[in-house]
Amino acid sequence: MLNKTFISLALTAAVSTSAFAATEQDVENSFYPYKNGVPSFNGLSAGMTINQSNVEQFKEVLDPAMYEFIKAGDTEVKVGETTSFDLHSSYVDATKANLANVKLGVNPGEISGSVAGRPFPEEPSLDDPRAGEKLAWNYKYGYNWGDSAAIMPFYWKFRNMETGKLERTLKFNFHFLNFTHRTEQTPTPAITPNPSNLFRGIYVQVLEPFDVKNTQLLIQRFEDDLKRDNAYLYLGFQRRVRRLSSGQVTDSFLGSDVMIEDFEGYNGRISDMKWTFKGARNMLVPMYNHNDMELDSESHKDDEGYQVVAFGGKGNCFPNVTYQLRKVYEVESSSVDSNHPISKRQHFIDAQTFTIPRNITYDRKGDMWKSWSIGQAHPDHHLPQNKGKGVAIDDAFTMVDMQAQHCTTGQFKGIVDPKLTPESKMTVQNLRASGK
Amino acid sequence: MGVTAMSLGFSATSVAADTEWAGFVENATYVRDGVGLSKFRNTAQAEFSKSLEADGWSNVSINGTLRATYDGVYDLNDEEFGKDATEDYLGANWHDQDLSSTILLPGTPLPCENDPALCKNLDGYMDQDEDEAKLPDFNDELDFIRELYISADKRLDNGDILNLSFGKQQVVWGKTDLFRVLDVINPVDYSRHNIYDELEDIRIPQWMLTAEWRMGPNEVFDDSNFSIVWNIDKFRPNNLGTCGQAYRIIDAGCFFSSRIIGGGPYVINDVDEHDWSLANSQVGLKWEGVYGDATFSLNALHYRQQLPSIHTSGNGAAPVPGSNFGLFNIHFPEVNLIGGSIDYYSMNQDAVWRLETSFTQGEEQPRDAYGYKKTDMFRYVIGFDKNISIPELGTRSAFLVSTQLFGEHILDHEVDMPNEEDNWIATLLLKGFYVNNRLSPQIIIAHDFGADATAIAPSIEYLVDDHWKVNVGFNIKEGGDKKFPWSITGGAAGGVQTEPLARFLNGPIGVANQEDEFQMSVRYSF
Repeated sequence: MLNKTFISLALTAAVSTSAFAATEQDVENSFYPYKNGVPSFNGLSAGMTINQSNVEQFKEVLDPAMYEFIKAGDTEVKVGETTSFDLHSSYVDATKANLANVKLGVNPGEISGSVAGRPFPEEPSLDDPRAGEKLAWNYKYGYNWGDSAAIMPFYWKFRNMETGKLERTLKFNFHFLNFTHRTEQTPTPAITPNPSNLFRGIYVQVLEPFDVKNTQLLIQRFEDDLKRDNAYLYLGFQRRVRRLSSGQVTDSFLGSDVMIEDFEGYNGRISDMKWTFKGARNMLVPMYNHNDMELDSESHKDDEGYQVVAFGGKGNCFPNVTYQLRKVYEVESSSVDSNHPISKRQHFIDAQTFTIPRNITYDRKGDMWKSWSIGQAHPDHHLPQNKGKGVAIDDAFTMVDMQAQHCTTGQFKGIVDPKLTPESKMTVQNLRASGK
Repeated sequence: MGVTAMSLGFSATSVAADTEWAGFVENATYVRDGVGLSKFRNTAQAEFSKSLEADGWSNVSINGTLRATYDGVYDLNDEEFGKDATEDYLGANWHDQDLSSTILLPGTPLPCENDPALCKNLDGYMDQDEDEAKLPDFNDELDFIRELYISADKRLDNGDILNLSFGKQQVVWGKTDLFRVLDVINPVDYSRHNIYDELEDIRIPQWMLTAEWRMGPNEVFDDSNFSIVWNIDKFRPNNLGTCGQAYRIIDAGCFFSSRIIGGGPYVINDVDEHDWSLANSQVGLKWEGVYGDATFSLNALHYRQQLPSIHTSGNGAAPVPGSNFGLFNIHFPEVNLIGGSIDYYSMNQDAVWRLETSFTQGEEQPRDAYGYKKTDMFRYVIGFDKNISIPELGTRSAFLVSTQLFGEHILDHEVDMPNEEDNWIATLLLKGFYVNNRLSPQIIIAHDFGADATAIAPSIEYLVDDHWKVNVGFNIKEGGDKKFPWSITGGAAGGVQTEPLARFLNGPIGVANQEDEFQMSVRYSF
């Protein structure tokens, strides 16, 4: 009996940790899910609007929070055509080159053999107890902003959802840089030297308003997922770099409704969460062509004539963008740490790009707390310099605190250009130099 | 400036962008218990940055900060502060009268308004007139120019970056709040609000040239940077506040403008000024970097002590009533400092430890019988920062808890030094965030163990919107009861004396024991 149990456990472990025999066909299916047609739903068509009057009909293709918002009349969803967001061919090629090399370790947060590309391109299975974790790895090592990109500028607006009052407007620059898992921008697959084996850097600089001007944040994420991020904060009025403890990573970022951990849909360690795959489904998500959307001519003006996405709905908390019916993976991440301020997030991961356009956050009691949307814009219908970059451009976000009836919205000018984010941006010294 | 820019090897060829401006206007109104208005400071500050293009250089910019301050307290409460302020005895603002304070006369407020001979003695140091007290940014040193410097990067062939900055600027070393260990390149102006204003606002900018060699990561370090700072400005000491001003740390200003009773000599005979010369310039070196979970710096600095050291004047002549003869000369000795700092993030504690330390040679400490003694000094700060979630207090945002223990060891201590051989000051900051961080209560507590003195400063900051900010708080101090024998009055045998030496022992918190205040500031920023 004991032997039988042992063999069973060993087999389970082997199945869980070793690579499935992912094939090139798996890769094709993963990166080009709409090659042979786009999903459909009875009664749903591009150009229509889902509102209070017809929301019940489309409940099946809405996530629970969006359904509640529409039902309450807080917002409406305009439906757009489903389009393919092809990621850059270098990332697809890297996925193929690493097929069958990638293995999960024994414990969550452990992985081996992932050099670049999507680690687990095969279709996830509900029978695989670690399928959620694999999808999380696909997100972490995804082509989210490519090898590097910048959001310059990036407007965050704090709004009272009840009254619509605009309370604060913060203007940022954000920069992202992958040190490893690089596929397109030289050097590939990694920047050296890299003594601490960093995976990714995120650098944030506040431009306005005056009370937080020159506040800067640097997050250095390690290749070793079991190691906590190094996070540094530079406060302009102190002119000093301060280390951040992880408590601040799960705290309101500069008073917004967004935690540092919320960035991009999830900005933390795989090992901080227990990941559970809940299934694949077709769902309406905010993915669109930026240049075809209603734009906000007031918030941002520049010489290129670029304008950011407009917001509307209750309290101006919702981006005025179209939603596509797309294949998503529903994954739950529940925090391992019982002191974490949330109990779980419900992620709706876009199956083609592995971006996370929709999230629902639940508080410690298990009640719905926050709703996260991050609109993904097709790079070929955005800034001219983004054309052909194969990056789903983060373009407009909203984090709605459903309990406090408050929201933080984000309007982006995302630019995929390596010159904007040299590796020197990701150093502690850069905080001092830029903040001086 | 243009000549300097050329000499650095670059010249601006075209303007790259419009000038960016930001700034604020602010009123700070403080009311002191038993005194009334103690501050009615109105500040307008503008900051600008202008990017330039220069062949072979990048990130070229001219940066400046201009500030104009008018403190109306000297007009609105002129009985307590200003040239007509009077005290019953020296130190009446912080201790009871005793034998020592009957030998020394009360300090002369703003001596350059009231006593030309004393003004001459103090020439160059703590000799503000009333206009300078009201408008402290407008003086001979052009302090209304808080900063004005040009900065540029040069990318070296190996990818490293060389940054040069020249101009009037603040150079910040160290990581401590309230008290300084390594952050000693710029002197500070304690007359603005004792130790309690942000150092950013009270550092006295200096004309400096800095060169930074940013090496970035290598096989060992994640970041590495070597910098040289050359302070070519004329030496300026800390401003401790002239007698008659509302804030004069350890009441030094009134002691310096006091004299012996009966027309006896002044306390201060002369101030040893240091003219501008290359030999008088100050130089610092710093190597800093990141190694794993630790950020570190190693520092070395040759500078002048920014606190005054009192030497007996050496004039053996008998004091002549009415003359300007004084007992002591103020000196600012040369000091060599070596030190370092390290931040370490403890994953197990989910907290950050900070350690900062310095060892100096050349500093001088006051003594009773011998005036002063040169002694090596060892200082350190251990800091601990952690974020704690306390949902019972009605917010999901974590509270910031920051504690520091500031230690000072006098290596060549003598029993007649009015300072402990070892002393510590502990600080605690507890800060919370409500209403999307727009409402932020905090409390700062500082305790000086040697002085047995405590400051407690609770406050609430409210951000009305992107422009308006209101801060309301209290600043309460206790302590200041320490005595120290003064040989002039019979020393230890003569009982317990406060003046003049116990001010050092009681420190900035204890000597301010009667400066309990309600404080409110309103700021509009743009």
